[in-house]
Amino acid sequence: MNNMNLSMIFAAATAMSIAAGSVHAAAPDWGKVPAKAITVFYPGVSPLEWVTKGAEHGGARAMRKGESCASCHHDEAADMGKKIATGQKIEPKPIKGKAGSIPVNVQAAHDGANLYLRFSWKQPAGGADKMDKDNAVKLAFMLEDNKIPGANLSGCWEACHNDARTMPDAKDDKKTKYVKDGNLGSGVYYDLVQWTAKGAKFDGHVADKRVMEGGKALIEAKGEKKGDEWVVTFTRKLTGGEGDIALASGKTYNFGFAIHDDHTAGRFHHVSLGYTLGIDAKADISATKQ
Amino acid sequence: MNSKNTNGTGSFWQRLRRPSTHYGALTLLVLGVVAGVLFWGGFHTVVEATNTEAFCIGCHEMRLNVYAEYQKTIHYNNRTGVRATCPDCHVPREWGPKMIRKIQASRELYGKLVGTIDTREKFEAKRLQLAEREWARMKANDSLECRNCHSLVSMDSEKQKPRAKKSHELAAKNNDTCIVCHKGIAHHKPAGMKEDE
Repeated sequence: MNNMNLSMIFAAATAMSIAAGSVHAAAPDWGKVPAKAITVFYPGVSPLEWVTKGAEHGGARAMRKGESCASCHHDEAADMGKKIATGQKIEPKPIKGKAGSIPVNVQAAHDGANLYLRFSWKQPAGGADKMDKDNAVKLAFMLEDNKIPGANLSGCWEACHNDARTMPDAKDDKKTKYVKDGNLGSGVYYDLVQWTAKGAKFDGHVADKRVMEGGKALIEAKGEKKGDEWVVTFTRKLTGGEGDIALASGKTYNFGFAIHDDHTAGRFHHVSLGYTLGIDAKADISATKQ
Repeated sequence: MNSKNTNGTGSFWQRLRRPSTHYGALTLLVLGVVAGVLFWGGFHTVVEATNTEAFCIGCHEMRLNVYAEYQKTIHYNNRTGVRATCPDCHVPREWGPKMIRKIQASRELYGKLVGTIDTREKFEAKRLQLAEREWARMKANDSLECRNCHSLVSMDSEKQKPRAKKSHELAAKNNDTCIVCHKGIAHHKPAGMKEDE
């Protein structure tokens, strides 16, 4: 059996799996997929307007020089979260007992047709008043195709603004995430995918406003709690329709995710810094073909 | 008048200029040196007395506002027990710059007399202006007081947190001076701070 035969068989199998579509999307053997440890932290009130203002956030200067948030803060996300959650910094309304951070293992793989993502973490202590009675936990991730200026440095922050609902300066309780000069048609948007503990899944996007529907790429979002560990997996077609970032082998995309822990809503989530997701490409998280 | 001049008394100034007929040169030299030492020592004792934390917080304007804030910072209390007091950061060590700073600071006496910042409200209203003046001074002297203890070349960036390491690398590359980034490290940041240039 030579390499050519092997690759032909592989190509045929791939073609068959694409033809079969979602029905036969088979999750990879997660035991064999390397995990990237990413700590999501409680961000308090740190909208883009705060992040980019040097008088408030010293790192704004470094950002202007092209440094990403993660290049300075990746290793200290837990410390930052602790300071913020306890109200020491940029959190005017600390929630008693709120976890400052949650270490999450992130795994990614693809099979030529679908991207598979797996997030796992230990449930931290909680018990605060429920903002979202229906969902103990929600997990969302966003993808961006290097079109939004700054998203390569700040991850999801280009969508996080001081006038969004639940922010102290918010006046409109319907306003959520948006991208300044966001435009779906010209590709200036985040692809947004969310799973909720109640069992719902959303495939939307964030351009000039957040839309929680319209995406055609998401096949499945599943989550369960075993003991004190949550495991959430997503199966997403590499390419979808409008509002779905088309993922191609050899490319990298800006990537960030957030967990609404302990029945929270709005800004009271734990967030990741901005990372990169590579499809068969070197990145913070690399999805290689299984 | 003439008789006075010729009988050896003369005016005070003329007597000072005339060579002594009573005292030897050595005696005069020794007396001069002793008087000089006493004068110079006295002058410096007074200057140094004004260069202490106790002097600075002798006024409630400093004690209740900026001093109280500084007491919660690492320059006041830290693992190694090294403390930077008010003059360490706000008065240059070198004699010339120190004297200039002292002369400039004498206007604060006027402020004290007329009560420019004698209440918390007045202080807060002026905080930004006062801070900006101090930042401008430190920027102009390349953060001289910071550099009495710190310098980029003597830092081991490998022992720093990633964000500190990055920022110091950038500062070295861009020739930035300490105060450009390190504002509000010993006192609260004023509201309404202007964005960096």
